[in-house]
Order: sequence, then C-alpha cells, then structure tokens
Amino acid sequence: MKIIDKLITWSLLKSPWILHFNSGACNGCDIEIVDALTPRYDVERFGIVQKAVPRHADILVVSGPVTLQQAKRLRTIYDQMPEPKFVMAVGACGCSGGVFNGCYGVIPGVHQTLPVSVYVPGCPVRPEAIIDAVVKLIQSVEGKK
Amino acid sequence: MSKITIPFGPQHVALKEPENFMLVLEGEQIQGATVNLGYNHRGMEKAAEERTYLQDLYLIERVCGICSHSHTTCYITNVEELAKCETPKRALAIRTLFAELERVHSHLLWLGVAGYEMGFETLFMYTWRDREQVLDCLELLSGNRVHYSINTIGGVRRDVSAEQKAEVLKRIDYLVERTNYYIKLATEEPTIFARTSKVGMLPPEEALRRNAVGPTARAAGIARDVRKDDPYLIYNELDFKVITHNTNDVYGRLVVRALELVESYKMIKQVLNGLPEGPIAVKVPMRIAPGEAVNHYEAPRGEDIHYLKSNGTDKPERLKVRAPTLANLQSVQYMLEGGWMADVPLVIAAIDPCMSCTDRAVVWDPKLGKKQTYGWAELRKMAIERYKRRGVDFSRLG
Amino acid sequence: MSEFENEEKIKSALEAKFKGAVTNAVVQRKNRVWAELEAARLPEAAAWLKAEGYDYLATITGFDEGENLGAWYHFTDTHQIVNLKVKTPRANPTLPSVLAVYPGALSYERELEDMFGIKVPGLPPGRRYPLPDDFPTDQYPLRKDWKFVQPEDKEAK
Repeated sequence: MKIIDKLITWSLLKSPWILHFNSGACNGCDIEIVDALTPRYDVERFGIVQKAVPRHADILVVSGPVTLQQAKRLRTIYDQMPEPKFVMAVGACGCSGGVFNGCYGVIPGVHQTLPVSVYVPGCPVRPEAIIDAVVKLIQSVEGKK
Repeated sequence: MSKITIPFGPQHVALKEPENFMLVLEGEQIQGATVNLGYNHRGMEKAAEERTYLQDLYLIERVCGICSHSHTTCYITNVEELAKCETPKRALAIRTLFAELERVHSHLLWLGVAGYEMGFETLFMYTWRDREQVLDCLELLSGNRVHYSINTIGGVRRDVSAEQKAEVLKRIDYLVERTNYYIKLATEEPTIFARTSKVGMLPPEEALRRNAVGPTARAAGIARDVRKDDPYLIYNELDFKVITHNTNDVYGRLVVRALELVESYKMIKQVLNGLPEGPIAVKVPMRIAPGEAVNHYEAPRGEDIHYLKSNGTDKPERLKVRAPTLANLQSVQYMLEGGWMADVPLVIAAIDPCMSCTDRAVVWDPKLGKKQTYGWAELRKMAIERYKRRGVDFSRLG
Repeated sequence: MSEFENEEKIKSALEAKFKGAVTNAVVQRKNRVWAELEAARLPEAAAWLKAEGYDYLATITGFDEGENLGAWYHFTDTHQIVNLKVKTPRANPTLPSVLAVYPGALSYERELEDMFGIKVPGLPPGRRYPLPDDFPTDQYPLRKDWKFVQPEDKEAK
C-alpha cells in the first residue's frame, strides 16, 4: 500500500502525461502498455494520461529495439517534446535490443538514439513494472528538486 | 476538387503498428491508396541462420507479441518434421490449448481496438478487462502473460495440472457469458452496424485474387481455415465450425471474430477434458539432418507460413516467415479505394494488422499550398465527429 | 502410395504438362509436393497451377546456394502445398514475375530484389520492401556472403 500512498501524494503534485512510441517492437510491450490503461491497472486514476502529440507529453515511453527505419523518427519526436522531458526505455528490447541484439536491422537499445531516464526490463514488461517505473522516475525528479 | 495526398501512418494509442499508407483524396473520397511497409524490419531471417534451433525458437516467438505461439508452433513443427521425431500426443494437445487461448486473447484485443476506433470506448474497456481472464490463464499455465514460450523442441516445457485445468475452465465459463453479450452487441446494436456495414468492402473474387487470409477472407464467404483444410496439432480430432459471413465488409469481420471466440471456447473445453496421457516431450538431437519443410498454421489473423531448410548442423540453413498480415495488405489497398476518409481507421484496423506504428499524416492542399499535420488520433476523432453528425453516436451507450 | 492420391495426381500432371522443364518432383508427405522447374517456364506454371485450383501463392522464399540464387514458390489450395524451386545464376540473377497471375505477390517479389538482388522485371514503381529507405541498394543481406558486424555501443546525448 505504500506505493499507492506515494502515488496519490505526487499525483496531486504532478500528473505525468506519457507518449508511447513503438520503434519496431513485436507489440508484446505495447499491448502491456495499453493494458495499463484498462480497468485492472487503470493508470488514469493516478493521473497518468496517454497523449498522442509530442508537444503535450512529459515522458516518452519507447518500446522496441529501434529499427533503422524508425531511429530518425524517434529522434524527431523526442526533439519536439518540450522540457522537462524524460525517456523510458521499455522491455528487454528497449534496454539492449533484447533478442534482436545482433540483427542488422536495429540499433540495439534506445540509449543509442536518445538519452534514457529509466530502463524497464521484461519481455514483455508487466503493467505493474511500468507504473513502478513512472513512480521511480517522478520520485527521482522530485528528489533532485 | 483538389487532390490531396496523405502519407498516413499512425502514432497510435491502441493500434501499435507502422504501416505507412499513402492516400490520395478527392474531397473526402479516397481515389488511390498505396501501402508502404518495412518499419518493423529487424533482420530476423538473417539472425536465425546464425543461431541454434533452440535459440531461434525464442527469436521467432518475437516476430509478434500478439500471436507469438503461432510462430513458434509453426517453426517447431518444421524442426520436428526435419528431425523426424515423434512429438507426444499430450504435447500436441497442450500446444492446441495454447493456440486457442491465444486466438481468444487476440480476438478480444481486436474487438477492443475496433470499438476504440469507432469511438465506442466502453467496448474497449470491457473487452480488455475480460481479456485479463485469458492472460491469467496463460500466466497460470506458462509463467508469462505474453510470450508464453510453452514450446520446446520435441514437445512442451510445462505440463497442465488438474488444479490449473479447473482454474482455466472456470474462467472460460465466465468468458462464454461475456462473449454472448458481445455477440448480441455486435449483431443488434444499430450504431455499430452503421459504422461497419458496407465499410471496407472486399468481394470474394477480389479476396481470392489478392490472396486474403483469415477472418478478412472468411468475412467474404471464403471458407478457408488451415485448421480444417490441412489439420495440424490435434485439430482433426476436435469438433468445431469454420465461421464465415457474407457481407464482405468490416461488419462481417466483426461477426466472424466474435463467433470464432465461441468455437475457441468449445475447443478449449474439449482439449482440457480430453488431455491424453503420456510424456510432454521427447529428446531431439542438436544437429538436424539436411532437409526442407514447409508448414502453415491458422493464426488469429490468418494463415501463417514458415519454410525451414536444415543442413546437418545445429543451425538452420534458411528460415522464412510469412506472417498473415503481409498477405492481407494487398487487400487493404482495394478496400480503401473508393471509400471515405472517415472510414480509414476502421478499415485498416479491421484486418487486425500485426506490424508496428508511428507517423503523422501530412495533408497538403496543392491549391492553397499549405501543409497541415494530422496524427492518427486526430483523424480518428475527425472520423467519429463526421459520423456523429450523421447520427451515429456511441456516447449515449455509455 | 495410394494414400497420397491427390498429391501424386498433381505431381504427375505437373511433370506431364512441363515435360523436360520439371525435375526432382517428389511427394514428401501428405499435402506436400516439391519440384524443380526451369525459371523461364515459371509464369506459365503459375497460371496453370492457378487454373488447377492452386489459387493462393502463399509466399516466395529466396535462397542463396552459392553458384546459383533462386526462390521457392509456395502455391496452395489451402489443402495441399506445391513448392516449385527455380534457380538463376549468381552472376546475373533474374526471375520472371508472376504478378499477372498473382497480384498479391508484389511484396514477395520486392523482397527478392531487396534481400537477394534478384531482378524481377515488370514490378510497378514504389517504395522498396522490406529494407529501410537509406539502406544501400547494392547490398543484399540474405546472401550468404553478406556479413553483419554490430557497431560498438554508443550512448546518445
């Protein structure tokens, strides 16, 4: 229950808006990210809202091993986000390329294209891990202040 | 009327795919459509040649997170055929169980996505909440909600216990009830009918010409289903119907998927109540004798086909995967042309695409010389608004 | 082999219709027929198979056998799969298109060009598939002599 208390505390302070980008993923992580919106996990009650436009987002949630075709677009989307902005690399693919490390079609790991603020391992990530990651990210930012 | 070209590839909330569709508009009507792919190309077939058969099992699983079991099972069937091993019946039955559970989760996912695209967000929330029951079953049986990795070369990794069987059956009973509600909704709710009827038309001759597969083809009356036509696993012992519809539109695809859920529940019960005794795996040597094999599988989206060539070593010589959505993309072009802008999100969603997405749509009016940028979310909203003005409004359904 | 009647039927018909151009035809097991065909006869064979009820071209698998490149064409009527192998010399690889018979084959033929460098004349203009737009056009990843060395990991700013 401790996490819930902390969440409620800073959801009053800040309501993080996330932008989800699939950089060539198999969709496993993506459906778990979308799952976080659905009734069982329901992140909207914590103020986490999924946005569709980079200019409105605080956190860029990136899944996938970053295929060559997507790398430029990923960077463009990141550059369009206003400060302060954070990047969450989701899944084994986002962290290191996962099972696609060694494939010619990817630049393995989001950190090679964008500066990453938090890594969330898993194949795929569990929705609870995503929520936990957002909490840790916000806490670290609050801590810095 | 000026011609407007829209490079259309979504940055998506519910549909996680990057197909880039190029639409040429004349006013609101689509004159031409082209399909551009490749955003998800990672280089798996090349990587597969440098990894062992067992490593490739985990690589191939990640072709797609929604139908991962389809890909590993098709691959493993090829490997076991080349290795000439006798996979135990119990293992085949467990694979079939997972195959149908996967179909259920995938169709429920699609129902939710279709609802979301129409503006019927409640349907999205309902179906995805119910889908959690299926994910619970999968996690119980395999240890993971997605990417269950139940296959191993020669059989399956884990057995099904009596307690697990009882848990799964309990959840399936709940889902049967919920699905009957969805079927009622799909067939009796006039708002859904208004959004989906006569949308994305694909007559049977065109479906055949363009080699459409899965529910997209079955909604055009083409009774093709690999489970019946070239049975694999234990499908030749199960009692189920091939569901077709004859309206050739998105509505037909909706009905086909909803009714297929019912058939899947039937099959899951049959498999669990008739699990054959025996071992769950046999040992297979690491090196596979030279040979070639091709196998296909009815994934939730349609026919998935794999080719495998072995060369006597522990690594494959050539591995080819053709996922079902690639076969359906040529049909999408046909379905979009002659249609309306407002129908684009639903038509594309209706083939249940399995790729991956993120782009923005750029609308350029040559007369005005102005460029405007739309995201899929905005196009979706615009579509919902347009239909609202015609009296098709889901908000009153709550 | 009376248990494989349908398979034997299509195999014999294929051998009879394309006498001399078909070699190594074999019924591998239930619902699987494999054969090699002279590349030049491919469009004719595709049209003939379609008329015989094999109206789905499930996919095209390119391969690299050293001296020759080539592809397996997998035709099906959803019961049986008839696999035809066609070869073309590595020095100047080209295969005829079957688009006229199977319009759904566009992506598969583009893939032969992109991944193996096998020219398929007559393809409509359009973006390449499946490689990214800026991938060099003279490199063919699925050829056996194409090696990939992963560059060193670099952190972005």
